Amino acid sequence: MNDSKWDDRTIAAASSSVIILGALLYYWVGEGQSMLELLELAYGSVKFFNNPLVF
Amino acid sequence: MINELIYDFAIWLDDSAWSTLLHESYYMYNWVESIHVLTLVVCLGMLFMIDLRMLGYALPNVPASNIARRLNMPMLIGFAIMFITGILLFYAVPVRTSQSVWFRVKMILLVACAVNAYLFHRRMNESVSSWDHDTKAPDRIRFGAIFSLGFWSLVVICGRLVAYDWFDCEYTDSDNFSQLLSGCIAGQERF
Amino acid sequence: MLSNLLSNYRTVAGLAFVVLAVVLVEFFEVRASIYPSLLPFFEWLKYSSWIGYLGITYGSVYATIQAGHLISMAIIGGTVLVTDLRLLGVLLKDIPSETITKGTHQCFKYSLMVAIATGIFCAAGVADKVYYMPVFWIKMLALLTGSGFMFFIKQPLLNSRPHHEIDPWTLRILAAASIFIWFTVAATGRWIGFS
Repeated sequence: MNDSKWDDRTIAAASSSVIILGALLYYWVGEGQSMLELLELAYGSVKFFNNPLVF
Repeated sequence: MINELIYDFAIWLDDSAWSTLLHESYYMYNWVESIHVLTLVVCLGMLFMIDLRMLGYALPNVPASNIARRLNMPMLIGFAIMFITGILLFYAVPVRTSQSVWFRVKMILLVACAVNAYLFHRRMNESVSSWDHDTKAPDRIRFGAIFSLGFWSLVVICGRLVAYDWFDCEYTDSDNFSQLLSGCIAGQERF
Repeated sequence: MLSNLLSNYRTVAGLAFVVLAVVLVEFFEVRASIYPSLLPFFEWLKYSSWIGYLGITYGSVYATIQAGHLISMAIIGGTVLVTDLRLLGVLLKDIPSETITKGTHQCFKYSLMVAIATGIFCAAGVADKVYYMPVFWIKMLALLTGSGFMFFIKQPLLNSRPHHEIDPWTLRILAAASIFIWFTVAATGRWIGFS
């Protein structure tokens, strides 16, 4: 490992970027999944042109 | 006369099945609206970068013409998405929107923005070689940038105010001045 | 040895501390125990503070300041997109990324300040509602993360040396994370209005 290239700031930047990207991906995929589940629950199929909050 | 035409057109749109479907769909309507608002970041974000460059507040070390030319494309892409989603939002709620004072003012402001943008680019292309590397653009160009910032800010404010029903034809008396501006039709039954 | 390592890797140590703190907060359920005690503050914000009063009483003032929030968000977005798309090699490729990074940061800082000030006003008017919304707290978390990331990680790295000396993949994921976090701040903010 090249010390001058992989210094404190670079390691912090790379690792925090990976953590942020991972956490955000986890959040948005989770949001997408719960939306699909709600639609499935409401209609038995995924219909975006409907209001799952009104049964 | 023109108000009757607008009203009839809005009723015609309102009677189409897709308009109701879009209006009543929780996800689709909110997504369209979210895309409309979030592409504001792309369109106005780029435009304001150009304006702030002319005023000397952003990217002072980059040639002004370079910023203006290169950020034009992402700005126009953002504008195209905003325009399409804007039409869809209008289509979902046509009668109320066409009779909204704020919406009408917003449309006039958009025309003002377009005229300003045209004049801004013409003036810039005429003289840019002489001030391209200056931190601040000449007065004429700076005024254009200030007008652009001001008009677009008013567009955003009007867009936000469309959501409020203070001046809706449905809730105002027929002798109210706002009815004239909103183009309310005497005895109209749909809102 | 340890003190030497700590002084050489101060940012990494700080980051590790923050990550550890988040894990501990979750593990010991600190969040759940603090949450109820925040309700009085949110109720005060809406019903007793002057910004809450102004927001509830004058709808036009509230809407205008909300539009100001959107405009400052547009400037934040503009600076973030220009800087990060340059780092990703999409925009303004013939201009050095150092020049772009330096030239946009001032605007970013001021518009973030305006966005936070107008955002507090917007939240105060509906404080009793947002308190119960998970999406509001996600937005606050994203805002805190985004700001910390910008001021303590991204800017110090980008200002430390010419960008060609920085590992190119680090620059790319740095830019991608930055765009994604600020997109999340904006998108969750929009969703507050729908919930």
